[in-house]
Amino acid sequence: MSSEFYPLRISEICNELVSSDDDQIANAKTFLFDVPESLQHLFTWRAGQHITVQLRIGDATVRRAYSISMSPLANRDVDTENPTFSITVKRVADGMVSNYLLDNMKTGDTIEIMPPFGDFCLDPQLNSRRSHYFFAAGSGITPLFAMLQSVLIAEPHSVVYLLYGNSDVNNVIFQQQLFALAEQYSQRLVIRHIFSRPSVWASDYWRKGRVDSKSTQAFINEHPPYAQDAQYYICGPDAMNASVTNGLLAIDVPRARIHQESYGTVSPLDDSVVSVAAKLTVTLHGSRHEVTVSKNQTLLAAMKAANIKPPFSCQSGICGACKAQLTQGTTHMVSHAALQDNDVAEGKVLTCQALATASYIELIYP
Amino acid sequence: MSNKAMMHVLPVEAYTSQEWFDREQLKIFSRTWRFAGFREDIADPGDSITVQAGLNNIFIIKGRDHRLRAFHNICRHRGTQLLRAAGKAQKVLTCPYHDWTYDLEGKLISVPDEDPEFPNLDKSCYGLKPAKVDIWRSMIFVHPDPDAGSIMEWFGDIEPFLGPHNVDELIEYPEARGSYEINANWKVVVENYIDVYHLSHLHSGTLNMYDHAKAEYQFVGPHFAFWEPLAADYLENIERNAAMPLVLPKDKLGAWVPMLFPGLGLGESESDWSIFHITPLGPELSRVETRTRVKDTSAWEFQKQQWRSSRFFEKSITGKYAGDKNSDDPMTSGDFTAEDIYACEQQQKSLRSPYFEVGPSAEAGEKPVREHQQIVKTYLDS
Ligand code: FES
Ligand code: FES
Ligand SMILES: [Fe+2]
Repeated sequence: MSSEFYPLRISEICNELVSSDDDQIANAKTFLFDVPESLQHLFTWRAGQHITVQLRIGDATVRRAYSISMSPLANRDVDTENPTFSITVKRVADGMVSNYLLDNMKTGDTIEIMPPFGDFCLDPQLNSRRSHYFFAAGSGITPLFAMLQSVLIAEPHSVVYLLYGNSDVNNVIFQQQLFALAEQYSQRLVIRHIFSRPSVWASDYWRKGRVDSKSTQAFINEHPPYAQDAQYYICGPDAMNASVTNGLLAIDVPRARIHQESYGTVSPLDDSVVSVAAKLTVTLHGSRHEVTVSKNQTLLAAMKAANIKPPFSCQSGICGACKAQLTQGTTHMVSHAALQDNDVAEGKVLTCQALATASYIELIYP
Repeated sequence: MSNKAMMHVLPVEAYTSQEWFDREQLKIFSRTWRFAGFREDIADPGDSITVQAGLNNIFIIKGRDHRLRAFHNICRHRGTQLLRAAGKAQKVLTCPYHDWTYDLEGKLISVPDEDPEFPNLDKSCYGLKPAKVDIWRSMIFVHPDPDAGSIMEWFGDIEPFLGPHNVDELIEYPEARGSYEINANWKVVVENYIDVYHLSHLHSGTLNMYDHAKAEYQFVGPHFAFWEPLAADYLENIERNAAMPLVLPKDKLGAWVPMLFPGLGLGESESDWSIFHITPLGPELSRVETRTRVKDTSAWEFQKQQWRSSRFFEKSITGKYAGDKNSDDPMTSGDFTAEDIYACEQQQKSLRSPYFEVGPSAEAGEKPVREHQQIVKTYLDS
């Protein structure tokens, strides 16, 4: 994985959602990018991975991670046959970066982008026979959409079940594409929509409410897995992820079959632990560095201040780009949405979230 | 003539001896996917069935997540079988012998008198041993090895050679369910099923709905694929002539009659979809289980179709030999299954004779018989 940024040109922009008051205002757009031949090898991706964009807004340099919203198998450049990647961005109340992208970027503009990464992936397997359940809310659909495309295209013996929550029918990203897939793959794709505030006339949705433990269980009762190797992928706000996970665990789904990624709202930060100043020895790209960490400073911030160049992206514990392995000492992570419980148990740390709780710490980057 | 006489590829003793039977149980039936029932046989969470896959007794149970789990039916204490036959709504699995109890994930959760009797027991080491289970074409299959490849590695290549039926949309026709024993080795029964040469002869009166001369067939891996078109006079008025409501669109009619290894025949036709499952019980005894799925429509539709088609069947279907259709003689019954059973048992009877000697084998029409023997031989040599 490369942690550098490369300027990429926006080749096309598609409106996904428009405002119901004014159809000149787009509330979600898909941005497609041109990747020059020389960068192709860096910009290959696995369905479910994300990229990081870096923008200058005013005086600030900001970064955000966005899931790639297409399977690498789904969309290829007509001339070069190279897969073209896209991100799909939705307007959010305080979404500085998202709203900036929606309102300011035009076809032909360039954006600084760090190549794809992430472990929330689904690699299709030609001979496998699996039932893939997807639970999405809002823009959490983006990585799942890429995954489900991959399964439909390249895992012909498998079945896909999507439970998708939105406020109402006007906020369903990829509505048309999903409809077309459901027609094309009617034997292998089940899609059910949940709306939290359906308009009074709406009729083509499965139920009113949210994607949570109850609706998850009802969905599985109605659509039991056909293939017996069932896998479950969840992508939405933390609270939804937790509720769906609990719903699955309560009906004895083994934990190893559940895969999730947080999107949008992250759970309240845990700042109850008092951190300490520490000495940090870090191995990055094979060389060792000594770094001083002050109290309440994240390990990432300390390393950046010491001028070594550790990988990072979202800086909010979501993307996992800053992950390292702890080999000595202890840390406290304010938030660790990007890690699974067993990662934490194995000593994986998100350096952007980790404060020192021991005076000597050793880290190694994979 | 010694007892080393051959049936083409296999020796005759492969059809009569206990020793061959035992080796097949180990090397074929314990190492392949075994048909375990229809999808709807395990309908609700907590429901279970047990099946014998070669040397392995396996039970399949549905969890609350509606996923099937399969385990070897062996208590981890002293090996007693945990479940018998089929069960309903089980929340835990308790061994009848000393009440060791497992959850539906196979984890050992309680042991009576654990403290005094087993002071250092690590229950996590005594979970039930898993097997593999999956559903394909509305059928449940189990494999004794939890690490066996996906079921599509086993059936994927034959699938394109099967009928265009949407099996999940068809429903079982309970009256057609049957189970009977045949006094013959399982390979005799399989070889009869895949013998294309006999269709126009043994069944000269009973399978006239199909045009055997146009049959297409071949082995795909260990599985046998077979297709033949409908006979012209049957097809011409098919809406009237079919014995039951059609299950295929008119432009896709035909009969697909594959034999999936080892011993699961399918009969996928214009008006029904059935299985013919052969289980070896002994060197000279086999059990056949038959089940049929038909169109999901009213009993009245079936009744009407039967009346409509009776003229065709009365005129076209007869016994091989003239006689009373209702007598016990399979050869006058007009029932092709009765004819097949008769032929299998009559053949088996000769195999122990010191004078038995197999004659030449039909170039094309009996090629599948020779190929099946070769497949069996390859498994036993492995
Ligand atoms: S930078 Fe994204 S989790 Fe740390
Ligand atoms: S053999 Fe099962 S409890 Fe003893
Ligand atoms: Fe026959």
